[in-house]
Amino acid sequence: MPCAVIVFHHFRRVLLVAVVLVGAGLPAQAATVTIKAGDGSGNALDSVVVSLVPVSRGGMPAARPAQIEQRNKTFLPAISVVQTGTAIEFPNNDTVRHHVYSFSAAKVFELKLYAGKPEKPVVFDKPGVVVLGCNIHDKMAAYVVVVDTPWSAISQSDGVARIADVPAGDYQLQLWHPRRLGMPDVPPRPLRVAGDQTEVVKLELRP
Amino acid sequence: MRFSLKWKIAAWCAALLLVTQIGGLLLFGEIGRGSAMADAQADLKTGDRVFARLLDERASQLTQAARVLAADYGFREALLSQDRETIESALANHGGRIRADVMLLLALDESIVASSSFNPGRTPERLRQLIEGARSGAHSGGFAVVSGMLYQLVVVPVMAPVPVGWVVMGFSVDKSLANDLKGVTGLEVSFVRRSGDKGWMLASSTLNEPLQSALLGELSANGALQDEALTLGDRDYVSLMHAIDAGPQQQVGAVLQLSLERALAPWNRLYRDWTGLTLIGTLLALAVSAFMGRSIASPVVRLAEFARRVESGEYGAPPAVARGDEIGQLANAFVHMTDAISLRETRISELAYYDVLTGLPNRAYFTERLEESLRTAAADGSDLAVVCLDVDRFKMVNDTLGHELGDLLLREVARRLRETLRDVRDQVARLGGDEFAVMLPGADASKALSVAHRIAEAMNRPMNLDGQMVDVSASMGVSACPAHGNDAQSLLRHADVAMYLAKRHNTMAEIYDPRHHDQNVERLSLLSELRLAVERDELVLYYQPKVSTAPDAVHHVEALVRWIHPTRGFVPPFEFIPFAEQTGYIKAITLWVMNAAIRQCGQWLRQGLEVNVSLNISARDLLNPELPALFAGMLECHGCPARLITLEITESAVLDDPLRALANLQVLRETGCALSIDDYGTGYSSLSYLRQMPVSEMKIDRSFVMHLLDNPNDEIIVRSTIELAHNMGLKVTAEGVESEGVLERLRLLGCDLAQGYLISKPIPAEALEKWFRESHWAQGAVGSSAAAVMLDEPVGRAATRTVAV
Repeated sequence: MPCAVIVFHHFRRVLLVAVVLVGAGLPAQAATVTIKAGDGSGNALDSVVVSLVPVSRGGMPAARPAQIEQRNKTFLPAISVVQTGTAIEFPNNDTVRHHVYSFSAAKVFELKLYAGKPEKPVVFDKPGVVVLGCNIHDKMAAYVVVVDTPWSAISQSDGVARIADVPAGDYQLQLWHPRRLGMPDVPPRPLRVAGDQTEVVKLELRP
Repeated sequence: MRFSLKWKIAAWCAALLLVTQIGGLLLFGEIGRGSAMADAQADLKTGDRVFARLLDERASQLTQAARVLAADYGFREALLSQDRETIESALANHGGRIRADVMLLLALDESIVASSSFNPGRTPERLRQLIEGARSGAHSGGFAVVSGMLYQLVVVPVMAPVPVGWVVMGFSVDKSLANDLKGVTGLEVSFVRRSGDKGWMLASSTLNEPLQSALLGELSANGALQDEALTLGDRDYVSLMHAIDAGPQQQVGAVLQLSLERALAPWNRLYRDWTGLTLIGTLLALAVSAFMGRSIASPVVRLAEFARRVESGEYGAPPAVARGDEIGQLANAFVHMTDAISLRETRISELAYYDVLTGLPNRAYFTERLEESLRTAAADGSDLAVVCLDVDRFKMVNDTLGHELGDLLLREVARRLRETLRDVRDQVARLGGDEFAVMLPGADASKALSVAHRIAEAMNRPMNLDGQMVDVSASMGVSACPAHGNDAQSLLRHADVAMYLAKRHNTMAEIYDPRHHDQNVERLSLLSELRLAVERDELVLYYQPKVSTAPDAVHHVEALVRWIHPTRGFVPPFEFIPFAEQTGYIKAITLWVMNAAIRQCGQWLRQGLEVNVSLNISARDLLNPELPALFAGMLECHGCPARLITLEITESAVLDDPLRALANLQVLRETGCALSIDDYGTGYSSLSYLRQMPVSEMKIDRSFVMHLLDNPNDEIIVRSTIELAHNMGLKVTAEGVESEGVLERLRLLGCDLAQGYLISKPIPAEALEKWFRESHWAQGAVGSSAAAVMLDEPVGRAATRTVAV
């Protein structure tokens, strides 16, 4: 998925800029946390959504807008992780119309049949996992993980997810994966960030 | 039990047909059932495929409906709203569209969120299995037993767009489902299940109650359905068990059955028609073969009846069988056979009842007719007489003039008899030889005697036999019923006795005198006992002494046989000797006499008594070639010199077969015995034979001697005979000497020996010995005794019968 990667990189650059800006105002030194995710049998696991939720909520940067476009009857990106309060645009780049909806508790909405760019973005104001679908095209699906932190990442095919510019401090490490849908949440893990560090996680998935 | 040929043929034909038909029926039955089974099984397989397809279709119907529901945006919104009532109404709405019996909404954790019309409460294990299957994409549904009911279920995820829950839809496997399936497949459908080790239970079935129980019984008995053929109640099915997956805890199956009835129907019709055909065919075969049998048997029966009529002597018209086949040939042969038999019978009865020579009825026929007439006479109390006729001197005619002339004579006699008897009721018959008989119905003895005299007149007229004039006379005896007997045999016998009397008395005709009756009967019965007399030693020898007219040192006696019957006492010789001669038994008697006389002679010799014993030899004895040897043997055995024995023979004894008789005489003579001619003068005296006979003595018959003094002719005969004898060198013995005067005259005439009652009658041996000692004849003027050999009466009588013409 080259497009998704591009979008992701772009998104990360935007994020980096934000972190740098936030980090400049913080007393603590910023660090890069590397997460290596694997499944039960030790294979590298991609699409693992990793988030570091600070124990003390103060001083977090505001959420930045995001975008999930529809192209070739596919949501791009398929998995997104956004900070609570993020407004996401749903530009339709297909020639056919889409009817984007979500019945997820974190955000119920629908964008009735539309083409082009909807008038307003959708604001995801509650943390949680939102599953997006298209009422016209059953196969279209996308996941938006809404978390109360700007520090999050998604593991690549090598199972590595890097979160940069994390200020030192105490965090809760939260993990999610599409194949854990319907399963209980993975319990958050406390993590103290003092410098660059690497964490290894394992996830049990549905077969 | 006996059946006629007709029915035997019919029964065999029918039985044959029946066997063939039944064989066919069995064969068809076998083929039919096999074929019906094969057809039914093919149908069942097809039905099974249709059944499987139907279940699939129902599943996809459910699936479609469930998917439509799961994908419904409104439903998903309702789901999101968590509004249970709304969700349930949505479920009911969609379920109602396809009349689903189960509508459930389950959360992703498989807990029941909502249900329509049926809520099992806790999620059944089987449902979890189905969800798991759906989750993994293996299948979208299956069968499940929920709350004791069997359901066909589908599980469809609710996608939003990832699975957020499960919709379960299902049909109850009930009777209406079974009926639907039956309607399409044409099979009886029964859903059965069992869990674990429990017994089979019926979920639903198209069968009626009793058959359901029977099916369960069958399943329980066998555990499963083994055989494809299944009999429930009185109906036959082919069946199979369509296994249905309802989870590991439950064993579920659909028993599909197809009644054989339909498959067998055409065959059953064939059996029915075939059986009908067999019945009709058998009846037809019976009828046709009975008809054919009748066409064979009926002429045969008629021929058999005809044969029975022929058997009883009734030669009627033979049954008309106008046909060219074997039966016709048989009938023809029958006709010819009976014709031939009838002809032959006529001929045989002619031969049996008629005398060929004279054309008169024979003895058998005469006897039958006589018996008939006797019955008639007895019935109406009328008289009946029988005349027996014997031609006098017929033997002489036959012997001298030849048999041809004898036959002519008999024919002439027959003709004259017929001529004389004008009454149609009178019956003439030839009894045999020269004997004839006449039956005179309605005549008494005297009337019959007058008829006999008429016959005698007719016979007395000279007969011209082939140019030769012959004088014939006949002797007749008359017997009458009821005076002289009531049956044919006694009448004939009595007439015969009377006839012999007439012949003896030369009276032409005599009426039977009952005084002769007893003798006659006795004679006949004695004859049968005579055979035993020799064996029983009932015969004895009497001796009649002869005296010599000149002194002689030797006694002469004639040995005479006597029969002392144990019950009858003394039987005179004339009672049995002639019959012994006729039957030939005389040979045995002669041998006995010969042996006894020789033994006695030898005995006397040893006592110092030299007695010359003479004994009689009959004509038959003379023809016995063994006689000389036997005679010699006896002489030797008893130590008796041959010179003391004299064998007496009559002149006529030689006549039958002179050559053999004379030769035999010569041999006897050579033994050393003396030969004597008996009864000289009474027989057919032939000087030519006399000359050839090696005799040494001649005995003058008593008939000449008795009246010697009164009849000058007799004296001439006696004298000339003595002279003739002496001139030929023969001694002469006179018989029948009963007075001193006669004896004196004989002595004067030069007779050598005399024999007669004057001297002594025949006496036993002891009396003779006493006579030798005491009689003056034995020591008197004659000087010595002599013996004469003679069988008094019978020989005399026989001589009478053979007096020359």
